[in-house]
Amino acid sequence: MPADDLDTEVKLAIYEITAKTGRVPDSSEVARKIDIDESEVLAAFDQLHAKRLLLPEPDDPSRIRMAPPFSGIPTAFPVEANGQKYFANCVWDAYGIAAALHADAISHASDGYTGQPLTLEVKNGQPILKPFVAHFAVPAAHWWDDIVFT
Amino acid sequence: MLLFRSEETVNLWCAAHNVPRRPLINLEQLWQLAVHWYGNRLTLESRRPAPDEMVSILGSLDLTGPFWDPKSDQWR
Repeated sequence: MPADDLDTEVKLAIYEITAKTGRVPDSSEVARKIDIDESEVLAAFDQLHAKRLLLPEPDDPSRIRMAPPFSGIPTAFPVEANGQKYFANCVWDAYGIAAALHADAISHASDGYTGQPLTLEVKNGQPILKPFVAHFAVPAAHWWDDIVFT
Repeated sequence: MLLFRSEETVNLWCAAHNVPRRPLINLEQLWQLAVHWYGNRLTLESRRPAPDEMVSILGSLDLTGPFWDPKSDQWR
């Protein structure tokens, strides 16, 4: 199988497992799902990282920190959709999960300074608009310099 | 990127963290960004937008200028 095709198959498996379970899989789970060697999955993780479609954990490349918009670890942006609970990487990705799943969603987020609960909701494919704002601390040219901070 | 109730709490957060105040976007802009970026993310053909596509998407939401330009070197 050409490497690009394998990367795509791995990417689709990651998102399929995540969408279904709410949990971002590790390399062994992806390898079992598509019946290939785990070393091939790890190579695909590298390629997907280079394409800025995935961020492996720096100290354990078998685990995924981010498969945007999904987070591999709990965050301050939980999202409920399709009866499943997910974690988004940031406020943009909280909406991103609803957009990726094409589903209504609710995120019980909070104000970045006060911690006051702020709810984001998507209903019938549209956001319930409120006068909240998102602050981008990093310019677009540098979003992936330190994507965890961004 | 973080969510804030208002511009006031953004300013307080920036002061507390010694971070320069950057542009704000509203929830409609944020939703449109999410749809452009992630609407096909679970599909075979999905990929991250290329720099020129990013400029076009951001520009369609009135997010223009060096801060929003992925090829800008003004911030390096």
